[in-house]
Amino acid sequence: MVAQVLDGDAEAFGIIIRRYEPGLLRFAARMLGSADAAADAVAESLVRAYRHLAQCRDPEHLKSWLYRITGNRCRSHIGRRHMSDIALDDAPPLADPVDTWAVLERSEQVALVERALAQLQPEKREAFVLKHVEGLSYEEMADVTGARIPTLKMRVHRAREALLLALKELV
Amino acid sequence: MTVIDPRVQEALDGERDPATLPPELREDYARLTGAAALLGAAPATSVADRVMAQIREIRREAPAPRPPNWLLRPVTFRLRPVWTLAVAAAVAAVVFLPLRESATPGAEEGVAQFVGHFPGARSVEVVGSFNDWQRGALALRDEDNDGIWHGAVVLPAGQHEYMFVVDGERWVADPLAGRYVDDGFGAGQQNALLIVRP
Repeated sequence: MVAQVLDGDAEAFGIIIRRYEPGLLRFAARMLGSADAAADAVAESLVRAYRHLAQCRDPEHLKSWLYRITGNRCRSHIGRRHMSDIALDDAPPLADPVDTWAVLERSEQVALVERALAQLQPEKREAFVLKHVEGLSYEEMADVTGARIPTLKMRVHRAREALLLALKELV
Repeated sequence: MTVIDPRVQEALDGERDPATLPPELREDYARLTGAAALLGAAPATSVADRVMAQIREIRREAPAPRPPNWLLRPVTFRLRPVWTLAVAAAVAAVVFLPLRESATPGAEEGVAQFVGHFPGARSVEVVGSFNDWQRGALALRDEDNDGIWHGAVVLPAGQHEYMFVVDGERWVADPLAGRYVDDGFGAGQQNALLIVRP
């Protein structure tokens, strides 16, 4: 498919978009805490990927390459504004303290997990999302982030601890 | 900071069967896997239409393909610094002297000479910002099979990024370039930098 696009069939890039867009949007949304900001970041990333597709040195790693570009774009967005500035107006109010996790509605659970995730530092947030939400291997994560695998493992472990703590504080 | 039992970390890393976790550790495991599952829904939106519209716009603005200038023009060769005198002499003997008198780049152009030492390589080509990183546009030659690959191209004056592609798959930043820039994709990889003077 990459070769087809490079040979001049720009429409073939639509197939690449359809294949990877859901994951990229989810990844960006979890990084940025906003569906609108995620859509902007992913759209910018895909256009950039198209412009530089010939620079994708290994089409076998296209997925990692697209996540890398999107991750960089998300970091740029985060650099321009702090996660704490992101409005969470869509989120339902915090649960009453007497509620337990089990009795929360699913939408409330999602909102709480999103809030907990937003409290993590961007590096840890990225590590948790890539590992556990996107299901990437540590090798793929190394491709995406440029970090070494032992570093990523440590980052994921710390992210789990921070997320668990945030969840316990919120529920 | 909550410290998670290493056995839970192992289970989350797929290195331990979660069923073997003691009951008191299963709650942390379940809480984290449950959180990941809750985050797994993709936003109900698509950017495909707007991205493809931008791409079609880019295609409309792109100039029509034309044969590479270096195939159509007489060229002069100017060796850039090479790493040994022996290589410089070898390359000059092959390509520099015979072509020097017959080639003249335009007023705002210069000749870039590429030399790389890749013993055993089956092919070496140059891709860069000057050929839209397209392979097949500039193949280097090694006529005497000594592992020294060389080629030249007339380029617009200015700064160009490039890489060698060895055997069609291995991307190598020219170890002799002397100047490098980040490739912009965040993995710490670098492109070689070439400055062409008129």
